[in-house]
Amino acid sequence: MTAAIPKQRSTLWRRWQEVRIIGQDPVLAVGLMAVSAFVFLFVALPLLRVIYQGFFDPATGQFSLKYFQQFVDPYYSPHLWQVLANTMLMGLGAATGGTILGFIFAYAMVRCNFPFGRLVHVVTLLPTISPPFAIAIAAILLFGRNGLITKQMLGMRFGPGSNDIYGLDGLIFVQVITFFPVAYLIIRAMLERIDASMEEAALSLRASKFHIFRTITLPLLAPGIAASFLLLFVESLADLGNPLLLGGNASVLSTEIYLAVNGQFDQQKGAALSLVLLIPTLTLFLLQRYYLSKRSYIAVTGKPTTGRIFVKEPVTRWTFIILTLLTLVMVLMLYFTILWGSLTRLWGINNEFYLGNYAVALTRGLNAILSTTFLSAVATPIAGVIGVVIAFLVVRRTFAGKQALDFISNLGGAVPGTILGIGYIVAFIGAPWYAVLLVYALLAGYLAARATANGWLSLLLVIAATVGGYYLNWLPLVLGLDEVSWRYLLMVGFLLLAIAGGAFAPARHRRIVVWLFVAMALALLVYNLSPLITEPLARWGRTLPGVELPKLVVKLSTFITFFTQPTLAILGYTFLTMAIFAVERLQGAARFLIGLAAATLCASFVFYGASLTLVGTPYIIVAAYAVRSLPASVRAGVASLQQIDPSIEEASNILGGDAQYTFRNVTLPLILPAFFAGLVFAFARHMTSLSAVIFLTTAQWPILTVWILSEVEQGGMSVAAAYSVILVVIVLAAIGLMSLWLKRAYGASQDVDMTVGG
Amino acid sequence: MFLELDHISKHFPARDGSGEVRAVDDVQISIQRGQFVTLLGPSGCGKTTTLRLIAGFEFPTHGRIVLDGQEINELPPNRRDMAMVFQSYAIFPHLNVYENIAYGLKIKKLSSQEIRRKVGAVMELTELTGLENRAPNQLSGGQQQRVALARALVMEPKVLLFDEPLSNLDAKLRVQMRTEIRRIQQELGITSVYVTHDQDEAMVLSDQIVVMHRGRVQQIGSALEIYRRPHNRFVADFIGRANFLPAQVLEHSAAGWRIRILDQTLEAAGEAAAATTANSQALLMVRPESIRITATRPDNAAPTWQGVIARTSYLGSLAEYDVVVNGQRILAVRHDPAESDLYAPNQPVYVQFLRENAYLLPPEG
Repeated sequence: MTAAIPKQRSTLWRRWQEVRIIGQDPVLAVGLMAVSAFVFLFVALPLLRVIYQGFFDPATGQFSLKYFQQFVDPYYSPHLWQVLANTMLMGLGAATGGTILGFIFAYAMVRCNFPFGRLVHVVTLLPTISPPFAIAIAAILLFGRNGLITKQMLGMRFGPGSNDIYGLDGLIFVQVITFFPVAYLIIRAMLERIDASMEEAALSLRASKFHIFRTITLPLLAPGIAASFLLLFVESLADLGNPLLLGGNASVLSTEIYLAVNGQFDQQKGAALSLVLLIPTLTLFLLQRYYLSKRSYIAVTGKPTTGRIFVKEPVTRWTFIILTLLTLVMVLMLYFTILWGSLTRLWGINNEFYLGNYAVALTRGLNAILSTTFLSAVATPIAGVIGVVIAFLVVRRTFAGKQALDFISNLGGAVPGTILGIGYIVAFIGAPWYAVLLVYALLAGYLAARATANGWLSLLLVIAATVGGYYLNWLPLVLGLDEVSWRYLLMVGFLLLAIAGGAFAPARHRRIVVWLFVAMALALLVYNLSPLITEPLARWGRTLPGVELPKLVVKLSTFITFFTQPTLAILGYTFLTMAIFAVERLQGAARFLIGLAAATLCASFVFYGASLTLVGTPYIIVAAYAVRSLPASVRAGVASLQQIDPSIEEASNILGGDAQYTFRNVTLPLILPAFFAGLVFAFARHMTSLSAVIFLTTAQWPILTVWILSEVEQGGMSVAAAYSVILVVIVLAAIGLMSLWLKRAYGASQDVDMTVGG
Repeated sequence: MFLELDHISKHFPARDGSGEVRAVDDVQISIQRGQFVTLLGPSGCGKTTTLRLIAGFEFPTHGRIVLDGQEINELPPNRRDMAMVFQSYAIFPHLNVYENIAYGLKIKKLSSQEIRRKVGAVMELTELTGLENRAPNQLSGGQQQRVALARALVMEPKVLLFDEPLSNLDAKLRVQMRTEIRRIQQELGITSVYVTHDQDEAMVLSDQIVVMHRGRVQQIGSALEIYRRPHNRFVADFIGRANFLPAQVLEHSAAGWRIRILDQTLEAAGEAAAATTANSQALLMVRPESIRITATRPDNAAPTWQGVIARTSYLGSLAEYDVVVNGQRILAVRHDPAESDLYAPNQPVYVQFLRENAYLLPPEG
């Protein structure tokens, strides 16, 4: 046939080919880079910095094992070991109690025909939509010093040393109530999948019910039970709100970390303790992932089986039902107490019906309510889009580093929020120049690679743009220009690029190239002009009557500034990404030159001043929110993508659609319903976040959950309850709106039937 | 040569980390323009992987794929000017029938008038007229299959690929559809590559059949060549049914080989590779329908054996027998059996076979 047989191609070549496949699709490639940059900047970097910071004194920069040595120091160590012991005890208690309770609920629902299924469903939803320390508040209201049950009903008095709700025991109790729904969901899912015929076969072999339970049911459930236990352990260790409120004299690691940063202003101590907390949580997280993936014994299809087994012995059945019912009642009572507490004047002292708490909440706390809702809402689409992109890359593509991307993005939600929080404040307080450079190099490198096929030329482009951009920032000083004028100059630069791009672009791409550069120029224009709108707006707002109205208007002007005047580095990265799309569509020398010019201009943004100093800005809060809800978004994306037969996307491919076209016209429409549902849960997660953002709040951008915490610490229980109710209402409103909209948009066929064609 | 697979291999790393799996192993196939070629083989033989390599969904580890003189290894699937009919049909659930078929034309940016014309024509060809506005979940299996076919045909591709498209249909529909596919393919003259494990489909549809096993090509030929002159035992066994009788090769002869089988000597045609030296062992393939069983000794000069019936099965249009000859169990089939052709178990009979239909194969191993 033909002459030479082609030589062997190595693994390296294969990996390079994988990257090239992705590279051929600029949208996918940029998506991969943007997502990697985000995950690196806001998950990997903070965590690494925290670990690093534990060993270095921030003031002197010297290496020291000071805080680790304290564990063996005779003065400090008793306290530290006590803290460690408390932490582990708390975790153990919460995990055990929560798993057992979750199991009871699951068993009652699946096997005992529990009559109030709807109610259980509602109860499992409550922890998602309420502040993480809601039960703690309720517990204090009911069982605290002025508690309804303890003081008013039972007339108990608490002197020092008496056993009240505060302390480890109360804490464990509250955590069990808060976290057991998670265990319930996991165990229930596994219970439903146990094939009835297995137990029936055992029955026909004359095994007793208890024997079957011991030798078949329990072992099959073991992975689920193990996973629940581990997950609850991690959640307990990561919990900050409940221990702060109810810990009393018992301190745990998360509270120690919090106090180290906010009370003692000792970042090194906080970081060192974070490392101590990180080790067990990371180990447990990995173990838990392992157990959840071991679903191998249970039915291969994974679908709930048709044959349902029901427990017939009345004793067993009623035990489970009664236990579940009692717990259900208690949980509902606790949540109801919060509502009630918000409507009383002074809990425990004056119990008359009073709406004043809400008045206080909506005036004093208006800033917090508006800021939190705004930032949560802004973070929601960001988390959603990043989640979908990661999900798509993980499910549909292979490339080196895929597992790493998946793992790190999962880490963002798995590590205790306090650790991440510390990470943000040590990483982004000054400009982390190496991080800035790395992300810039990634984007600029890709631009250069697309601008010219010659490897040396692209290297030249990157270096020239970097150096040029850096020194471009000296120009305003030389010319004696202020910032605003300087930005106008840059705007002119982008307009020139728009003209050049329009002149040299092939006809069919002309419009989009011009528009990309014009958009960048416009963004700069808006940046400069926005104070012309926001400042008068704020001034006018302050003249308005009342207290709330001025606040609202002023806040509105802040929101406008949020969008029009972002941190320059972020603007630079965005412009660079847009420039990539423009350069893609040019040809020849124009491609290289315009690419070089664009990269230089963008570089000047990225390296301007102390770029990426995000602490104190609202952008870091948005990033923190997105990082925390990212794993859930990715999981939802993965689940809905896996439901699509891959040959549908291949069919689009071979009919001529590239990856981007296929995604837009085939994949996206099919996953959209699930995507929007996922957005709502992301929003709920943002609103209820505490530990990740507790170090990031500022006077201008207060966070509601932190606000509630401080309110409780000051003794304003009723007001705190009112804030909590407001938070829940906002989340419920979002859920309600989304359900309504989904029903409108997708109607009766809310789920596009994805089994057709497959 | 319109489409050529030149020493194509595809290796996958083994799941347990121990080395690699050769899904496709040094495959060499040449396809002429307008030919209908079937890749036939059992599950796991590499035929689907080969098809996907042609389509561009997989990268070859070695080798080149050449289409119309151009090497297309580097081209992504959406630029190869091919179309594929998938096993699961892969119809877009959120588009109706018309939009499904028009999908690829829309990407090509044809005018809506042009699209309407082409879609109308192909819908007529595949007997789908009137179903333009139906949603996919309102179509029967056969209709979905035809939509998938129409969607591929309307692209007027250089190569049309089929990945076991009929396996999800019931038997009757399968037979009906395969003749449809062949008719349309011949009418349009599109080069086609078809993957199946169903040998009947392969025999009916193809100009050339490529039999594959464990990633390697066993034989390429027409249905007749593969049936009558298989290269080895696997091919002989995979297509139709066969008896394999151990034979001792004596020497070359005019007909091909002189062999000693079941204590008798005869001449038979066979593979050149059947034996390399005299007195070596080989396998004589005799198909069941080429074996003649009589109650009395036939009065011709052909080699005759005496045997005993072990089993008779009457199936109406044919009768099957297991006959034991010299300790060897042989399957024989008699079409349109008369009542006198039905033998009882343990009845002694005489066995002959049509020498022209016997074929000598290399020994196993």
